[in-house]
Amino acid sequence: MGLLQKFTRKSSPKQSGSGSNYAYVTARVRAMKSNLLPRETYPRLMNMGIDEITRFIEESQYKQDVDELARTYDGVDLFEHALNRNLAVTFTKLINISEGELNYLISEYLRKYDIWSIKTILRGKYCDASVEEINDSIVSAGQLSYPFLSSLSEKESYESIIDALSGTDYYPTLKEYDGTNLSEIENQLDKLYYTGLSTTVDNPKSNDSKLFSKFIRTEIDIKNLSTLFRLKNAGVEKDEIADLILEGGLHLSIKEIEKLLPLPFSEFVQSLEKYPYWEDISGIVKTEMDSLVELETQLTKSNIKSASSFSHVYPLSIVPIMDYVLNKTNEVHNLRIILRGKAADLDEEIIRNQLVI
Amino acid sequence: MAVEAVAYMDPAGLKAIGAGLAVGLTGLASGIAERDIGSAAIGAMAENESLFGKGLILTVIPETIVIFGLVVALLIS
Repeated sequence: MGLLQKFTRKSSPKQSGSGSNYAYVTARVRAMKSNLLPRETYPRLMNMGIDEITRFIEESQYKQDVDELARTYDGVDLFEHALNRNLAVTFTKLINISEGELNYLISEYLRKYDIWSIKTILRGKYCDASVEEINDSIVSAGQLSYPFLSSLSEKESYESIIDALSGTDYYPTLKEYDGTNLSEIENQLDKLYYTGLSTTVDNPKSNDSKLFSKFIRTEIDIKNLSTLFRLKNAGVEKDEIADLILEGGLHLSIKEIEKLLPLPFSEFVQSLEKYPYWEDISGIVKTEMDSLVELETQLTKSNIKSASSFSHVYPLSIVPIMDYVLNKTNEVHNLRIILRGKAADLDEEIIRNQLVI
Repeated sequence: MAVEAVAYMDPAGLKAIGAGLAVGLTGLASGIAERDIGSAAIGAMAENESLFGKGLILTVIPETIVIFGLVVALLIS
């Protein structure tokens, strides 16, 4: 069987994306997508009390995770952990079922969670959290496995954690950490993730890497836009903003962003009119904004919408998979907002504004 | 000498070769077509078992190619 696979890969290296099993993965992912909660569920969930919501989640696809964690946790924490666990299991499954170039692209994308977990561990150590607390917050959806990550959180000091990561790409950034500059290191790690992704798809050869590159670059644009909005609105100096801007955007290249940086907020908003994202946000942005929640939800929404319309144009490619990853993350995010919001007795209107449906 | 050999070739043999090619090539073609559909069907079924019926039907649709091949082979021989 192995010999046969070797032979088929050798004989047609370019034909189906260097031995990638697109048909299998996309069909499976589409079936997985059909298991996601439909959008009509959210208004229903909003009308339920916290007990009804917990019951609803217990009966949904998260059942197994809730059952397994029910011994250790209870209340809202249980569901938060169950959601995280489900996310980790689902994304690890995506890595496990894909082959070839597809596997490479998905793993690169899911490095986000490796960085998330490393940041969580460092943050936990920074504020002296217990090993259990740190372990609970880890989402091992990337390449680093849960046993490895929990062995990191068991280490006494941040130096030994960083030493344990010496073989990884994160080491050069992490070794700058001196126990105090955590936020700087976190920003560096995020930048590293996006530069890593851009270099992965720097010279896209196959059709799939091209699509993936477009997807990533749109995401970078959206990240940059929300950074710009947040910092401009808070009146941060342009040099400080420039440090946080990611390179490699699709419509907003670094040069164009540099032009936007010195402008005051109102002019900055007007100059966005020439970009395609304006269509989605034009109804919301004003020259003076108190809250950016609505804008950020709208940006995320437009990202998800463009991914799902793309996934119909390129059915046998990486796009449906990325679309699923976005939708799944969003679902977990929404459920968490509803649960946490209800538990904190927040006003329904506030919760509804935060949801991306 | 060579000309004589061609003259003596049995037409039934050529027919048999044609029929063989018709079934063989169409069989390969259906195999190639079914490869991706089959793996997609398995993928969908792994997530949702109720798709078994649909998956099975879609997987065997390219089977028509080889049936046409078989019909042609029967017509030839």
